Amino acid sequence: MTFKPFDTFHIMKKTLKQRTGHIYLAALLLCLFGLQARSETILLKGATIHTITRGNLDQGDVLIRDGKIALVAESIDTVADRIVNLAGKHLYPGMVATTTTLGLLEINAVRATLDTDEVGQWTPEILSWRAVNPESELIPVARANGITHAQPIPLGGTVSGQSGVIQLSGWTVEDLMVKPTVGLHVWWPSMSLNDRPKELSNNPSNWKSPKDQAKQRKQRVREIAEFFESAKAYVSHREQNEEAHKIPNWASTTSWAKGKTPLFIHADEKRQIASAVQWADENDYKMVLVGGRDAWRLADMLSEHRIPVIYDKTFTLPSRGEDSYDAHYSAPSILAEAGVKVIFSEGISRFAASSIRNLPHSAAQAVAFGMRKEEALKGITLYPAQILGMGDRLGSIESGKEASLIALTGELLDIRSQVTEMWIQGERVSLESRHTRLYNKYRNRPKN
Amino acid sequence: MKKTSTFYVWVSVCSIVATLTCGQAAVYRPDLQPPGHDPQPLDYHTFTEATVVVSPGLTLTNATLVIAEGHIVSVSEGGPTPAGSRVWNMRGYTVYPGLIDPYYAVSPDGTKVRTTGATESNHHDHQNLRDHRAAGDWNFYGMTGDEPDPGSEGPGSSLSTITPEYSVLDDWHFEPGQRKELRNLGFTAVHLSPSKGIIRGTGAVSLTGEASPNELIQKAETFQHLGFNSRASKSDEYPKSLMGVISAIRQTFIDTQDYARRSGNDSQKDYNPSLEALKAPLNGSQSVIIEPGSVLMASRAAKLADEFGLRFNLIAQGQEWRRPDLLASIDAPFIVPINFPEIPSLPEEEDWEAVDLDLLRHWDWAPEVPSVLASQGHRIALTLYTLNDRKQFRKKLKQAVERGLPETTALAALTTIPAELFGLSESMGTLAQGKLANFTIVEGDSYFNPDHPIESTWVKGIRYANEAFDPDAKKESKEKDTKGEEKHSRIARSPLEEFPTQEGPDTLLIKNATLWTSSALGIIEQGDMLIQHGHILEVGKNLSLPSGDLGTCLVIDATGKYVTPGLIDAHSHSMIMGGVNEGTYPSTAMVRIADVVNSETENIYYQLAGGLTIANLLHGSANPIGGQNAVIKLRWGKGPDELIFKEAPGGIKFALGENVKQSNWGNDRTTRFPQSRMGVPVFYENRFTAAQQYQAAWKVFHDGEGERPDRDLEMEALVEILEGRRWIHCHSYRQDEILMFLRVMESFGVRVGTLQHVLEGYKVADEIAAHGAGASCFTDWWAYKFEVIDAIPYAGSLMHERGALVSFNSDDSDLARRMYLEAAKAVKYGNTPPEEALNFVTLYPAQQLKIDHLVGSLEKGKHADFVIWSKPPLDSGTTCLETWIEGVKYFDRFSDSDRTTQRTREKARLLEKAKKAVNFKPSSSDPSSETEEEWHTWQLFFQRALEKQDEGRIIHCDD
Repeated sequence: MTFKPFDTFHIMKKTLKQRTGHIYLAALLLCLFGLQARSETILLKGATIHTITRGNLDQGDVLIRDGKIALVAESIDTVADRIVNLAGKHLYPGMVATTTTLGLLEINAVRATLDTDEVGQWTPEILSWRAVNPESELIPVARANGITHAQPIPLGGTVSGQSGVIQLSGWTVEDLMVKPTVGLHVWWPSMSLNDRPKELSNNPSNWKSPKDQAKQRKQRVREIAEFFESAKAYVSHREQNEEAHKIPNWASTTSWAKGKTPLFIHADEKRQIASAVQWADENDYKMVLVGGRDAWRLADMLSEHRIPVIYDKTFTLPSRGEDSYDAHYSAPSILAEAGVKVIFSEGISRFAASSIRNLPHSAAQAVAFGMRKEEALKGITLYPAQILGMGDRLGSIESGKEASLIALTGELLDIRSQVTEMWIQGERVSLESRHTRLYNKYRNRPKN
Repeated sequence: MKKTSTFYVWVSVCSIVATLTCGQAAVYRPDLQPPGHDPQPLDYHTFTEATVVVSPGLTLTNATLVIAEGHIVSVSEGGPTPAGSRVWNMRGYTVYPGLIDPYYAVSPDGTKVRTTGATESNHHDHQNLRDHRAAGDWNFYGMTGDEPDPGSEGPGSSLSTITPEYSVLDDWHFEPGQRKELRNLGFTAVHLSPSKGIIRGTGAVSLTGEASPNELIQKAETFQHLGFNSRASKSDEYPKSLMGVISAIRQTFIDTQDYARRSGNDSQKDYNPSLEALKAPLNGSQSVIIEPGSVLMASRAAKLADEFGLRFNLIAQGQEWRRPDLLASIDAPFIVPINFPEIPSLPEEEDWEAVDLDLLRHWDWAPEVPSVLASQGHRIALTLYTLNDRKQFRKKLKQAVERGLPETTALAALTTIPAELFGLSESMGTLAQGKLANFTIVEGDSYFNPDHPIESTWVKGIRYANEAFDPDAKKESKEKDTKGEEKHSRIARSPLEEFPTQEGPDTLLIKNATLWTSSALGIIEQGDMLIQHGHILEVGKNLSLPSGDLGTCLVIDATGKYVTPGLIDAHSHSMIMGGVNEGTYPSTAMVRIADVVNSETENIYYQLAGGLTIANLLHGSANPIGGQNAVIKLRWGKGPDELIFKEAPGGIKFALGENVKQSNWGNDRTTRFPQSRMGVPVFYENRFTAAQQYQAAWKVFHDGEGERPDRDLEMEALVEILEGRRWIHCHSYRQDEILMFLRVMESFGVRVGTLQHVLEGYKVADEIAAHGAGASCFTDWWAYKFEVIDAIPYAGSLMHERGALVSFNSDDSDLARRMYLEAAKAVKYGNTPPEEALNFVTLYPAQQLKIDHLVGSLEKGKHADFVIWSKPPLDSGTTCLETWIEGVKYFDRFSDSDRTTQRTREKARLLEKAKKAVNFKPSSSDPSSETEEEWHTWQLFFQRALEKQDEGRIIHCDD
């Protein structure tokens, strides 16, 4: 594979976008790149097209114009700048990986490479995208398995900050950044009592007795409520009084205090989830549930409140002795059957960013344990795009959407399939990574 | 119940007194108190109209009990009252023999003594002991020069937790307050037991009266005490893991054997008080008491005792309900604590739901444990040990009785049995003539009814009144057991009920499956497999049942289904108890995973559900030379020893890189050798040179030309490696260290079994293949620490392509449930053909573990270990339907829902019972803080069995 990492056109287009006023420069660039610019068309021919929203075309064509999908049809006969033969391959929209630390960390055991956590309980003004390392070795590895977009999230504290969306291709962090802010992350306090005695506790100085824990958990929920009450008050005060003193912390919560954009509430335990849902409902906040270990036990409640679930526990041991061995394999299916939108995620654990490439395997396992395949596919394409406020741009193969696409040797939910091509906004993107480089290097080591 | 005395013999009181004092009469007794002191207590008493429980099962009514000079003179029904004695009318009272607690743990530093699982500080001072170190010849600490030897000051064992020479009499900690508390419960004697460390020292039997210690002690140097306590040693001192504890005990007894052999002859080279003290248990003249800390370890303790021919007693843990089957054949008395958890009061309604089923089961089962053990025919003695609030003793004892422990058995367990254990039946245990006048007097008719108060307790003829006793108190019946039956019946099920039936059909024929055989037969469409008595008889097409006696017979129509060999995980830590790393010494070749296999973890079931049948249980990667492995078959429901795959040759874990140089363990760990990759080969060269010398010394001895060397378990394991009888499984990452390791081992003539993880193995695949080591790798883990930055998912395929023997492993109890999906990654990354990819988790790990002549493929003659799948095994949509091992079905997907349903129902019923027990009422107000009492209830309730402590936790190499 010898593709350049980025097409020159891509850089130019970004430049155009950013300097729309600079007519001269634009004209110059147009001259330099001639007819390729703006009106470039690519015709992808012959693939099995998994549109996600409108079923499959066993053999179909996709016309890309100006980075967008212009037409999807069984057969398109038109002149195009490039024609790519995808016969025998499967074409999907690029996968969108939510709630990840991709880009914010390199080697978990090396502290200097971690930019995931900040100090403080209440830091809504944190924007995660600003710390993304575009040169992270983890990004090409994620891309190589078909992930085109990701949502790096800030960790640490109760309100840890805002996540944005990045595309996994670009020269600079600004190239990568697609949407600087999509969600505010709230980490709901644990409702479980830690029953380890003090002398066996990992952190004896922080140890609290069960009753004190019971007090503390109530207190912490009240603190969250109080934080958002204050945010609301501040926001309305500023609206009525523009000269009011600006407080960045409160100011950054405007969109959420008004209930416009979703809160990403991280919760795994049943009680945590129920408590968060109740609070969000009482305050008319939009909510996305993240983590969701026990969500399957509250499927009806989540469905009733139309709360999507970012589920990152497919590959997790059962949490209770009475659960079935496949409780977490089956959970997505149970949620989907109840009408809940399930988005798959690899989560934020120690190995998660480097293993984000296994995202489709989680969805595949859910299918093996009862989920409808179409629904599982949506859970790694359309639904994540929707909850990130990009449902109109990403997540399916439809005319008008971005041409962020992947082609594979087989179905996306089959582990054995290999991603062979990727386009982001119509740009062919390299699938080379540290792994392919080392593989090719040592495969060609002369035999001893 | 009440019998007429058949042994009553009236003898003149005077003559008895004369007999008793005879021989002492001439001795000067400074008994006469000076004026101003309390007067001398009388020593001649008669108890009339009493109900006397003479011994378990023998009660006299309207009896007369006469005591004099601290001894029983007579006990008889309606006997006369001798003149000159103080007469006590005992109508309405019952006299019991004084109770004996066989395990009253004393703590030299005065801290409260709890069970083995609890943290303890050390009573030895370890500062600056370098000049006093007591290391033996073959002991090796691998410490740099600055590290003090961890042993105790002065002569003795080199480990501070091994103090068999200690006696509880060395520092007397049996205070008047403790004695009074005991008397008020009816105890007249206790066995004081040392409670610290691993080999703890000897105990002594003491009376509970008020006298000088010299008078109280009835017997000294009773038993040697052992505790499987992995928390006993201070930080970084060996042993810190359960397997290390067992090894330390084992080595110490071996040292004693060698020491005893040399004692008194020319080859005696030292004096070691610890080993001196252990000669007695080893030659059978002294018994040991072992506190194993868990039900599986109780079974292990019995085996360890057998290994050295020790006579032993076991301290029960309260968890024996889990696996009484494993204890049935143990021929030793059990000392059983009367301490059962109670339901703590939980703050909120939802907190109930979060309580583990396993904890609820334990709560419901615990009072039944004494009965379970007794009904198995074990001799049991009861103890207050671990009971924090000792006032609860009689209430708890009543619970045990209500749950099936016969009163006579209970009484024997508190009187005659402990007396026998200590060889004190002549003086204690029953109310018989000549024995010590030790008894307790209960108002009413039963000690087993806690509403019947204790009036007084007499120790050696002296009366100690129970101050709390009020003869005028209204005796209201507190019996309100209207729902008695419900309260006393158990809801919790036994885990034994859930295990699969352990028998398969004698003959089994699988028809019309697609067989992925992992053999030269390849994939057989519409294939059949014939199995008899756990072995594969034939694999092919159109097979029919053979003629002759088929025994029980089953034919499975597997049309549309797929069958593969049982999957094999060459790197697992999922069924190990008490720590996977003995991360103290850089060489822990002596520790054995086989000592701590956990047959009770749900991981076995969960992994069977993913088609796994065999796991290579490995020590962690903390040390260059780790511990010995155990290859197990996942025979869910069998005990630890029956899980062991006995035909598998021995193995041992080695490790290289960041973990062994402790680079990710914080900045404090900088003194253990090695700290760099330069030191690692030096370390191996040192240890294997030592092993060669050890081997040579034994050869000289066997040739009859030299002295017999002392045995050393670390060296024995290394010699087994040198001799090709033990295979190295070496955790390795970087290419340079992989090559270094192969070369060092080659220099000792050793072929390495497998390189584990071997992340950069793809860079040196040719060298690995040429050496002949297997490569067992992760599929796609990388980037979590610096040394894995060059890990690639193509490694397996690439090494395979270049001729190395490759397997995929899990190193993770969740991932081990999906080794079939891991195999599929070899197809994705590097285009390994699917049949070959499956071999990465079937045949090839079998070859790496040298068990491929028995398992790993579907071939004639091999074990019938196989899996039935819904779809092709590497298909992402496949599910494991059934898992069979040696012709026995251990997992069935369709039965799993029954298991879930039953467990859910069981938990709901247990919760209902629990809520009733504490009379739970939800409250919305903030709870107040715990009282100390509440807190103890919490702690006891939430104390998880050792077997269940790691449930749901993912354990990796560096844990």
